[in-house]
Amino acid sequence: MKHLLTATAFVLAIAGTASMAGTAHAEGKLSLYHWFEYIPQDLLDKFSKEYDVDVTMDTFDSNEALLASLKAGKLGSYDLAVPGDYMVDILRQEGMLDTFTAAEMPNLGNIEDQWLNVPFDQGRKSTIPYQWGSTSFSVNRDVYQGPIDTTDIVFNPPEELKGKINVLDTSGETLTLASLHLGIPQCTSDRTQLKALNDLVMNAKQYWASFGSDIAKDVLVSGDAAVGMIWSGFSAKARAEGANVEYAFPKQGYIVWMDNVALLKDAPNRDNALKFMNFLLEPENAAAVTNYANYSAGVKGVMPFLTPEVANSPESNPPKGQKGVFVQACPEEVQVMYDAIWTNLKK
Amino acid sequence: MTSSDIAIDIDNVVKRYGAFTALHGVSMQIHANEFFTLLGPSGCGKTTLLRSIAGFEDVNEGAIRLYGNDIAPLPPHKRPINTVFQQYALFPHMTVTENVMFGLRRSGWSRIEAATRADDVLKLVQLSNFADRKPAQLSGGQQQRVALARALAPRPKVLLLDEPLSALDLKLRQAVRVELKQIQRETGIAFIFVTHDQEEALTMSDRIAVMSSGHVQQIGTPREIYETPINRFVADFIGETNLLNVTVQSVSEGTAQVILPSGHPFSCPAATVNSDGTGHLSVRPERIELCPAGGGDLDVKVESQVYLGTDIQLHTRVADGEKMIVRLQNAQSTILPEIDTVVGLKIEAGAARLLAD
Amino acid sequence: MAAGAPDGASSKSDIYAGNGPRLMLPVWVFIGLFLLLPVALMGVYSFLTKEFRGGVIWDFTLTAYDQFFLDRGLFGDDPAKIEWTYIGIFWRSIWQAGMATIMCLLIGFPTAWFIATRDAKTRSIWLFLITIPYWVNLLIRTVSMKFLIRDTGPLNEFLMWSGVINEPLGLINTNFAVQLGLFYSYLPFMVLPIYAAVERYDFSLSEAAADLYANVWTILRLVILPVVKPGIIAGCILVFVPSLGAFLAPDLLGGAKTFMIGSLIEEQFKGNAGNWPFGAAASMILLSIVMAVLLIYARSQTKGDK
Repeated sequence: MKHLLTATAFVLAIAGTASMAGTAHAEGKLSLYHWFEYIPQDLLDKFSKEYDVDVTMDTFDSNEALLASLKAGKLGSYDLAVPGDYMVDILRQEGMLDTFTAAEMPNLGNIEDQWLNVPFDQGRKSTIPYQWGSTSFSVNRDVYQGPIDTTDIVFNPPEELKGKINVLDTSGETLTLASLHLGIPQCTSDRTQLKALNDLVMNAKQYWASFGSDIAKDVLVSGDAAVGMIWSGFSAKARAEGANVEYAFPKQGYIVWMDNVALLKDAPNRDNALKFMNFLLEPENAAAVTNYANYSAGVKGVMPFLTPEVANSPESNPPKGQKGVFVQACPEEVQVMYDAIWTNLKK
Repeated sequence: MTSSDIAIDIDNVVKRYGAFTALHGVSMQIHANEFFTLLGPSGCGKTTLLRSIAGFEDVNEGAIRLYGNDIAPLPPHKRPINTVFQQYALFPHMTVTENVMFGLRRSGWSRIEAATRADDVLKLVQLSNFADRKPAQLSGGQQQRVALARALAPRPKVLLLDEPLSALDLKLRQAVRVELKQIQRETGIAFIFVTHDQEEALTMSDRIAVMSSGHVQQIGTPREIYETPINRFVADFIGETNLLNVTVQSVSEGTAQVILPSGHPFSCPAATVNSDGTGHLSVRPERIELCPAGGGDLDVKVESQVYLGTDIQLHTRVADGEKMIVRLQNAQSTILPEIDTVVGLKIEAGAARLLAD
Repeated sequence: MAAGAPDGASSKSDIYAGNGPRLMLPVWVFIGLFLLLPVALMGVYSFLTKEFRGGVIWDFTLTAYDQFFLDRGLFGDDPAKIEWTYIGIFWRSIWQAGMATIMCLLIGFPTAWFIATRDAKTRSIWLFLITIPYWVNLLIRTVSMKFLIRDTGPLNEFLMWSGVINEPLGLINTNFAVQLGLFYSYLPFMVLPIYAAVERYDFSLSEAAADLYANVWTILRLVILPVVKPGIIAGCILVFVPSLGAFLAPDLLGGAKTFMIGSLIEEQFKGNAGNWPFGAAASMILLSIVMAVLLIYARSQTKGDK
């Protein structure tokens, strides 16, 4: 239980984790395993009502927590989970995904072309897009007015930002951003490059105030941090909550990710799960999630349903020419070294 | 009498707890070398007075002097007075020796001197074999003696004992009385002993102060207290007595002429008399003789007999309804009257006393 | 076996003393199933081979303990040296937990003393008051502490407004903040056992000591503290042990910049590392330390009672 909920989000979280949408005597059931604070309750209620299905939802706070929980015996009790891109690969390798046919997913055609043939699920046989966005960092413009389109802000910050930086407490995203800063490939096994990566983060740590993922937005809003590694939608929320923050698209690159609704193996309510997936591919419903989470849907025709703020959100509209990369799932012998660097960083 | 003969001088001490007054101007002088007892029922103020001497209570008025010096401003740990507590208050985490050495080490004795002194005191109370035990491994009587040894060790100028025998059983209590008295004589310091047990007070004390409701009723030797009580409370509290309602005819030179409930005239030593000319005639049960009906000072009806071993008690009733207890020696020659018979009682001249309420 | 049961049957007195074998059976089954078995399982896991991204392979190995104690370099092929990383993490956790315990003791003892010396009725009100915050979830309380002491929080704002300080104290994301969080989390565990000991304390012992020429501080040192020591030790254990494995306070108040034992172990099961045997081994080592502390304590207790 690592995740932090802000005091205001606490009530929402209780409603989320413990939600029992619909009436108690519904026709069917649906068991979701989802990120915290990532789906509007209204949308769950709407599905429950339309299909007469009881939806129960548990939440997790990182892709790794999702994997650990499924490995520890939860597979078979959930119908759907929402893994990130590289985790889809891992879940398939672990044999935890079921597949569906095109006939079972009438709304498959609603998926935007660029998200239909993705490397982690060619032709969309087990998953559909949920939301996609980017991971980078945001800077409080009251504190620092200089250019922010560089990862130096995090790894080699100007004087006024030193000691005021929060980085995400997940080695995957933080070490990937560090790799982009150095211009080295992900999952490299080159010793010189790994040594450089280790030295970079070890040196940068002195500038960092804290490590935290679920506090990423909160520290920016409260002013505890002037720079925060953050997901694009979270940054938009921080902005909406009054923080004068600007989300950066650094020239060294930034991380792109996509969360996907995945049909789990041994789903107890497979039919309802497929209904829910189709439901989420309706432009109106996909837009509802986007309006809530401030990311992008990956579904055609959502535009008319988006609020203008979300549609025009600077966090969701990267400048042309700046490249986004997916985090890669490294092979075991390489991952061990990344783990060692991370442990070394926090010893 | 010089101040060096007076160990403790209690001078008009008043102690109040809010609206309640525990001590109403109490005065008494306790001599050096004296075994002095504060006797009274619970709530009479005797423990308050003892705690005031020890320093655990601040008095509101009056002075407490130790060999002439006012000790009222001194906290307990600066008074050369030690206490044996009612429940002993032995330090449970220390051995017997460590308990005894505690006061010695705090009052500046070196470790070696203190250890030697502790050995001596433990010898005095015959506990040398138990020196390394913890209090929980001792019997009640042994604990009591450790408490005594601990309090005596620093050679206090006065030793206070707060009902130290009340936790012991009867047999042990009787043995310890003798021992305590002996230790007091050997150490030669003033003991101030608090008890509600009049028998304890009579057997051990050089002098007794009888207290009631925050007042001193009488101070005297055990014999004075028992045989010439100055009021009804003292007579009633010390030992057993019969109190007959009598009418006083005249009092002169300490001798009163009274009319007994039987109408019989009687003369006796007078202590005090009520203003309305009535009084109580205090007669000790063992100072009464049986005689044929009509042949004594008054006639009574025998109601029951109580066998006490050495004595036999007769519970009888006077014609006007008052009870009389008569104590007879359990001897072969004693002839006991039958229940419900009427017998005469002869009161030993000079053994009865006229007392006010 | 009780002396009164020579033929092996349980005697009646055994049953009334609560020792009847059949009466104890459910308890032993429960303890065995839900307390001992999980620990045993953890012990076994610590000797298994890790599976990539969580899980275990049933090949017995000492790799997890090797990783804990021996440093073979970032790439695993340097000559083995003593690995200080994890020992350092453990030592830091022990130090943090120790500081929190000392803070709890310094505040908890006077508090317990104050409560225990009230009259019986007010005592229960005070006890109730001190436990009230603990009806709130630990996470929420830790977050509240964070809000309170952060640079832009009410504590700093008040001090700056009142002119006591010009710059924020910079409490957040420090070791002290972690200690403060642990202190706040576990204070009642210190107060309650000390309260129970002080409540049983016979105040005539203090009078006896004063009567024997001891001043207030000597009484505290030589009489009160030794007599209520069992309560103090129980309180220290109850604070120290959970503080040792805590990860909420280090994460939220310490900024998660350094691993504590708790977060290190958590990382092995939930983080990227996914190294279950190593997590189990770290847990076993932690358990051994705690057991050793408790055994030393138990040993000192039985000696003291002789």
